[in-house]
Amino acid sequence: MTRLNSVLALAMAASMSFGGIARAADAVPDATTDMQKAALHKVVETCGTCHGVNGRSVSPTFPNLAAQPAPYVELQLKSFKDQSRADPDAQAYMWGMASQLSDSMIGTLAAYFAAQPAAPGKGGNSALIAQGKRLFEEGVPARQIPPCASCHGAHAEGLAMFPRLAGQHAPYLLKQLLVIQSALRTAPVMHGVIKDLSKDQMQAVVAYLESI
Amino acid sequence: MTRMEHRLSSRALLQWLGAGLCVALASPGWAVPSFARQTGMACAACHTVFPELTPFGREFKLNGYVLDNIKQVTGIDTTNRQTLSLNSIPPISLMAQISYTHTSAALPDSAISGALAKDGDLLFPQQVSFFYAGKIADGLGAFIQLTYDGVGDSFGFDNTDIRYTHHLSFGGANGNDHSVILGVTLNNNPTVQDVWNTTPAWGVPYSNSSVAPSPITSTKVESGAGGFGQNVGGLGVYMWLDDHIYAEITDYTSAIRGGAHPLDSTQSNVVSGSAPYWRVAYEQRWDRNSLSVGAFGLSASTHPGLQGTTNTALSGVTDKFRDTAADVQYQFIGEDHQLTGMATYISERQTLDASVLDGFAGNLHNSLKSLKLTGEYYYERTIGGTIGYFNTTGSHDPVLYTAAPVGGSANDSPDSSGYILEVNYLPWLNTKLQAQYVGYQKFNGQKTNYDGSGRNASDNNTMYLLVWLNF
Repeated sequence: MTRLNSVLALAMAASMSFGGIARAADAVPDATTDMQKAALHKVVETCGTCHGVNGRSVSPTFPNLAAQPAPYVELQLKSFKDQSRADPDAQAYMWGMASQLSDSMIGTLAAYFAAQPAAPGKGGNSALIAQGKRLFEEGVPARQIPPCASCHGAHAEGLAMFPRLAGQHAPYLLKQLLVIQSALRTAPVMHGVIKDLSKDQMQAVVAYLESI
Repeated sequence: MTRMEHRLSSRALLQWLGAGLCVALASPGWAVPSFARQTGMACAACHTVFPELTPFGREFKLNGYVLDNIKQVTGIDTTNRQTLSLNSIPPISLMAQISYTHTSAALPDSAISGALAKDGDLLFPQQVSFFYAGKIADGLGAFIQLTYDGVGDSFGFDNTDIRYTHHLSFGGANGNDHSVILGVTLNNNPTVQDVWNTTPAWGVPYSNSSVAPSPITSTKVESGAGGFGQNVGGLGVYMWLDDHIYAEITDYTSAIRGGAHPLDSTQSNVVSGSAPYWRVAYEQRWDRNSLSVGAFGLSASTHPGLQGTTNTALSGVTDKFRDTAADVQYQFIGEDHQLTGMATYISERQTLDASVLDGFAGNLHNSLKSLKLTGEYYYERTIGGTIGYFNTTGSHDPVLYTAAPVGGSANDSPDSSGYILEVNYLPWLNTKLQAQYVGYQKFNGQKTNYDGSGRNASDNNTMYLLVWLNF
């Protein structure tokens, strides 16, 4: 069984409400596996327009979703749907996209993207990367900024509600740090952690994260 | 039949010029809020600044305008086949343009010889359009525009593109290493179905004056005077592979609105048989950049039909037009800065058997070449501008291009060149306030006294102010 089929198995009981075929499946609880497979494919193709069908995006406006922990993706999709995540890009793109997703489809999508191979790191300014690595692993004790690794994992692989950061587009990460710091994006833990992080420090840490 | 018999009067030329401009004006496509209502996404998802498309906007269109995020009215049959998936709110929207045009020198009065028309013209409106733009059924979507034209004081069918698409993923362990969109398009304007802004239907300027003089002719694939825009119907197929490779073939035939039907000698430029259009393009995206390189072309055989006051039968020999074009588009879409560069070159070869036989053209073989270069910049999608250069050159033809006030050519030439400077301010994403200046270095063949009546190319320089609303 391929990895995709494993994920599709999770969709067996899902009622789906995104895209035409998905809605047909929603209307018939005992829809066949083929129909559910078609429904997931259709939704993934829609997501893939920006994020890549395999979860690896081209434009840094749109984050990579491949290998992202499923609970994190699930939480974000739900917060787009209920509009509690309200940063500018969330409003412009994701409020609409998530508005018709059922909870079960959100779970299925999260599992699908978690199962995709992660995007590889991209090299960059080695001095900046080295500075970012220190920040990520050690934090800034003098300013009481804890190491990022303590929540996001030693290799930034993410864990449960804490997103994978490794291999993520640096401009996307920088933008998230800025909108979280300015409270345009709600992220209770992060507000306190990064309140004193400077933009230069942000640029260093995101350069490191994009590189691994 | 003498040459003079086929020369158009100045008034007829002005009327013809106006008609051509109406066609040209009607041709640009618009950003439509009904897409935003259907997708729940802001204009900025699909447009840098409307109507220019972002890579996501191109994907939305290539997918058939069907991405929806609103409640659907659905139906299935007993085999679970979906029989209906309809937006609960129809994707309808409205566009209004109000404009003011001022040319460097006033135009001649249309009725009194030697008198001048009012210098400065307010069009309220220049144009108002109603759109159905969005999903019709699963995989089936449409962009349908109905337009009231302020100059013609008429309401009619405008740009239309109806398409059906199917999306496939394949290859690799997960079956998703490659993707292809296969589509069918039914449309009424060659290139209205295209997704890059280097092709004529969606090219710059996105809006221009409908009362200022415009050059005497343009290529068939362009939508100005002599073009096919909204007067043909075409059925085509396309594919979009791995977000890189686009290929399309669409076959057009005449679908002229109004006048005699079935088409007869009272109609003009009627396609004989069909007119195939082709398009290939390659797009590369990296970080916030996209670069596309493409080519397109159109081949058409036409019967001249009605030219001036002379009717000719839609039979016998035809005029043949072969347009071949190359285009390049670069976009940088940053958080604060948006930058676009575009270049389009169109070469048209004409073999005018019918027009020469009927006395409408002097040369059996003519050529027409059109070059457009454009640079655009916007800051935060709010304020920005355009710098453009255009140059049309072609064969001298003493019968096709003749001297006449304003619209004619004293040296039998279609050559025109100039520049466009534009400043745009968008207080909201769906509202554009525009100031545009079009300057001519050469108009219908010459810089000075180009029409044989003492008018200079620079007399046609145009200041154009526009309020453009989409809601």
